[in-house]
Amino acid sequence: MIRSVGHTPTRAWHHAHRRRAKHSALLLLTLLALALILGAAGYFAGVAWQALALGLWQSTYRLAGGYVIGLALGAGIALGIGWTKLASGLFPLFDLLQNVPSFAVLPIFVYFWGYSDFMIILFTATGVMWPILFAVLTAIKSAHEDLNDAATIFGARGWRRIGSYLAPLSFPAIITGSVVGLAIGWESVIGAEIIGGVGGIGGFINAAGSVGVTPALFAGILGILAVVFAANRLLWAPLLSDSARHYAE
Amino acid sequence: MQSDMSADATTAFALSRVSARFDDERDKSVLALRDITLSAAKGSFVSLSGPSGAGKSTLLRVLLGFMRARGGHIVRNFSRPGMVFQNYALFPWATALENVAFGLKMSGVERAARLKKAREKLAEVGLAHLEHHYPAELSGGQKQRVGLARALAIEPDLLILDEPFSNLDTITAEDLKHDLLKLWRQYGMTILMVNHLIPDSVELSDEVVLMSAHPGEVKKTITIELPRPRDPRAPDFYRYVDLLTEELKKLG
Repeated sequence: MIRSVGHTPTRAWHHAHRRRAKHSALLLLTLLALALILGAAGYFAGVAWQALALGLWQSTYRLAGGYVIGLALGAGIALGIGWTKLASGLFPLFDLLQNVPSFAVLPIFVYFWGYSDFMIILFTATGVMWPILFAVLTAIKSAHEDLNDAATIFGARGWRRIGSYLAPLSFPAIITGSVVGLAIGWESVIGAEIIGGVGGIGGFINAAGSVGVTPALFAGILGILAVVFAANRLLWAPLLSDSARHYAE
Repeated sequence: MQSDMSADATTAFALSRVSARFDDERDKSVLALRDITLSAAKGSFVSLSGPSGAGKSTLLRVLLGFMRARGGHIVRNFSRPGMVFQNYALFPWATALENVAFGLKMSGVERAARLKKAREKLAEVGLAHLEHHYPAELSGGQKQRVGLARALAIEPDLLILDEPFSNLDTITAEDLKHDLLKLWRQYGMTILMVNHLIPDSVELSDEVVLMSAHPGEVKKTITIELPRPRDPRAPDFYRYVDLLTEELKKLG
């Protein structure tokens, strides 16, 4: 599974990240172009597009729900305790919890909530939260002492410290943690859908694979790639760029 | 350790036999300061000089209450300390204007009033035209001026400068020194400056406190009895520079 993604972003790191993002965008575009060619050649003629779109929508909103809860939990806990002595004490516990294979605890979620939307959203949240939590904790712990002192001396004390200093300080960590967390989130959503045999893109590709309808299987995977690509280009790339512009040393 | 407000209205702060320890990276307790006795009159300009490891920055942290002293007595007759940092310590997510207004925002000053005041302070340090720039878009000298404006915005009664010129080129440092003296005369606050550059200490300070290292101890306090404005080319100026250089050499 993951692991610590927190660090102070440097200009070099952002350049490298942008280069990687550019390469993966190029790869995705190539795949989508290939899909379009195959589609034009009639390869996807038998695909149930409506079912695929519905499945993508179901999985995306489960992921979005899981992300919102995971972000609130991960960032909330890290911002709440990261600046206190409690953080050092709880770090080993968090480390232990995040190392538990996520699908090992899936039966617990199923036991309480069955194979429902709510269960998949909660299960996804528990995967998304850890990279965000560790990234924010690390960002707070590795903040330059002078910056901490400046915040204190100019009045960012007590609970006001969280909103006025720690939250903006942790912004790049929240972004990088979110990117990693969402990758895990996709795994959780699709895995839970396949295991549970419920609707969603996981259920769609599982059904397509089981009966050997490979065009539908590939169309489902390409659909996931298209959503991931759109989210990266429209949301994460601008946020990473903003983070690079303002935070790089 | 005791800490209180003294009845002596002429003293900005006083430390009496203050010691401090910190844990190093191997969690070993290290004595950073031993029996520090030091005071500054209100409105005075005091410099701290000494070799690396003399605990100068630790002393500032203890004085500000960021670090606990182990024994001794501290009098703090200041209520609004401001600080300018060697590495600027500007908030990278905030513009120059927002950085300068930060302390005012934390004090609950209403938005329009704090932005107006922040603009005034930026103008005082000659950066009115850069208010929308982020720290990453500023030069070292500009960042240090924003840091100075941020400290001045809260109208500090004690201004602490932690090696404010060490990351700047000579010309920028000279300009900033000139502005600093002007602002000190204008505001009349007490200034405590950590500084390695002896000519700067002689040019700016009323008193220079010399510290030795491992652990940090105050070895000597030298009063600079030169009229202001000081001429860095005057023979008396050089005599003080020589005196301080010799004393610092003795301290290693």
